[in-house]
Amino acid sequence: MTYLALVFPALKNRRLPLTRDQLMLLMAAFNEIMLGVDTYLAHVLNQTILWREWIPIIFGPLAGGLLLIAGLVALRNRLLAARLATLVFLASIVVGVLGASFHLIRGILPTAPVGSRVTIPLLIWAPPILAPFAFAGIGVLGMSAAFRETPPDSGTLEVGRTRRLHMPYSKTRAYLFLISLGILATLLSSAFDHGRTGYTNPWLWAPIIVGVFATAVSAGLGAIRQPNKGDILTYLVAIGLLILAGIVGGLLHVQTDLAGESVIVPERFLRGAPFLAPLLFANMGLLGIIALLSPVETPASD
Amino acid sequence: MQENSADRSQTGRLLVLGVVSVVIVLGLVLVIQAVTAVSPTAAEPEAVNVLANSNDDCVTCHRNATPGIVEQYGHSSMAGAEVTCRDCHEVSADYPDAVAHEGTFVLASPTAAKCEACHQAEVAQFNQSRHSIPAYVAYAGEEILTPEQAAAYHAIPEGGYVQEKMKARNSLHAMEGPAITRFACETCHNVGKPASDGSIGQCQDCHLRHEFSLEQARKPETCNACHIGPDHPQWEIYQESPHGIAYATNGDTWNWEAEPGTLAVTDFPAATCALCHFSGFGSTGTTHDVGDRLTWFLASPISERRPSWQDNKVRMQGVCLECHNQNFLDTFYNDADLAVEQVNQWVAESDQIMAPLQENGLLTAAPFDEPIDFTYFELWHHWGRTAKFGTWMQGPDYVQWHGAYEILSDLAELREEANQRLEAAGLEAGE
Repeated sequence: MTYLALVFPALKNRRLPLTRDQLMLLMAAFNEIMLGVDTYLAHVLNQTILWREWIPIIFGPLAGGLLLIAGLVALRNRLLAARLATLVFLASIVVGVLGASFHLIRGILPTAPVGSRVTIPLLIWAPPILAPFAFAGIGVLGMSAAFRETPPDSGTLEVGRTRRLHMPYSKTRAYLFLISLGILATLLSSAFDHGRTGYTNPWLWAPIIVGVFATAVSAGLGAIRQPNKGDILTYLVAIGLLILAGIVGGLLHVQTDLAGESVIVPERFLRGAPFLAPLLFANMGLLGIIALLSPVETPASD
Repeated sequence: MQENSADRSQTGRLLVLGVVSVVIVLGLVLVIQAVTAVSPTAAEPEAVNVLANSNDDCVTCHRNATPGIVEQYGHSSMAGAEVTCRDCHEVSADYPDAVAHEGTFVLASPTAAKCEACHQAEVAQFNQSRHSIPAYVAYAGEEILTPEQAAAYHAIPEGGYVQEKMKARNSLHAMEGPAITRFACETCHNVGKPASDGSIGQCQDCHLRHEFSLEQARKPETCNACHIGPDHPQWEIYQESPHGIAYATNGDTWNWEAEPGTLAVTDFPAATCALCHFSGFGSTGTTHDVGDRLTWFLASPISERRPSWQDNKVRMQGVCLECHNQNFLDTFYNDADLAVEQVNQWVAESDQIMAPLQENGLLTAAPFDEPIDFTYFELWHHWGRTAKFGTWMQGPDYVQWHGAYEILSDLAELREEANQRLEAAGLEAGE
């Protein structure tokens, strides 16, 4: 079922040059590269990038490159490409979990007085515990995209030449659940980061409202077996708001970082409001739109 | 028909779910805020002693031997970042000035080389500054430097620019002797003393051990430790300046722990020493080179423009422009330049008064052995500098009564003394 066609019937027979899964994998590759860049910018602040901090910095672009190669391999051998991509995504999950554990350890004061070892302010001021999970999130999402679902929307994945994996939900619904989780992580990350300001700026509540709304709506749409036009419309509004929040947030962050007379001082961009962070909302919005595309594997050119 | 009706009834279900979720979350936030009475601005994590329950060998032993240091370090952000005592103090056995200590080798006072392991940019900026080797040379003289240090010294603006008359200060250091200078000149000027390992300077002079607090380093009182007194009364000038008055009035409410590189007028509504000379603020980036934003060599007897002073001016004005407009700054800079040139003229006049005495051998060869030497020295070293610093930092009393007035007084004294000596020698007196 093409969810988008419920709202826009004209799209029912329209196909894009790339399939939904190919677009998801492209987005995953792009995200891996950007995560590497973002991790570098965040870690370069203290001038000392330890060996373990190089892991995500190197892994991000490397994973992105490997996924693009897998995309090319897929033109000749889909299964091989899926396995290569799966390996990359498994590694991405490991990198994410490892990073989160490093951040968590860094945020705990093991020899401080009991009661001060783990505190909310530390969660706000210490390295963001959720941030590395972005690698894990992309890993899980990518693995979902790597294997063909046959027949479309059946929840049955081709994991080998003859092997089939029966999932409890269709790929579309699985995407929606994962996107909901991704939005939730983005929302929490933003809420903790903005916590440093004490929320004195009322605009800082906007990403919270949009994030909660989009999280609930995405999860809700995933939970519905047969959504109707109203459901899709509501979801599209939520996705639109996410993209808007991302773009406006990015501009507001840049505006905050611009010094007097709009002069660009690099350290303000590195140490001030992270200009890439709000774009994560827009990123989740884009993934949310892709999830609604037709699950049929054959691209238009076929 | 029935299906359509059901479909219509479910049209807004996701919308309801989304809106209800938002309402629940916002409601929870409000309840939490009401219960915990969250302050309008988020407080940074309270400075708990992160070493309170540490069983690290250094901490355990020094908790008894030097508990103050352990207590201070436990509250530092460095300890919070898991930087251990060993990271800064422990060195190899053959490291210069290494001391055997409890089965290992340590530096009693870590050098800038140890700080540089994590703070490369800061140390590099510092090494280019007047706080570096020039501060040390000011009392110790240039001759004591190794060829490498001398080369580094001459690459620094102040190192390449020392007027002959300034070297008198080295004579004072020699005259006073180590019993005094150890508690006097050296206390401040060792900020740029080379260490045995080849690194330069003492970061801990400004970043006091062992808390390494941002607030402490940023507060004007830290600069006051050295920039005080008749030869460079920046602390006194600051106190009477509008910036200093703002600090005295509301400084306790400023955001002293703000993240470096993100400072704004909301954190610091008025200038401090650090804000103008070091902090990233407005369009100007953070630096540890104290001369990076200065236009003149104000400490010199006759001030000249610094190399790249136009660039420095742009950087300083990048800070000023957060509160002042360009017209104000242009007028202020033009007027202050004129004041510097006026002081230059007076100092040049003192040189002209002294020149015939020097040419005719009417002064003793030894420095600081007769009153006229002190008058001639104080004219530029105390009052000339004070008038110039007072001008740029907006301390009128220090431009006037502790500056210009004293210069004029000393000029009159010099003139009279010089004429008496010339007449006594049968030479024509000056005007």
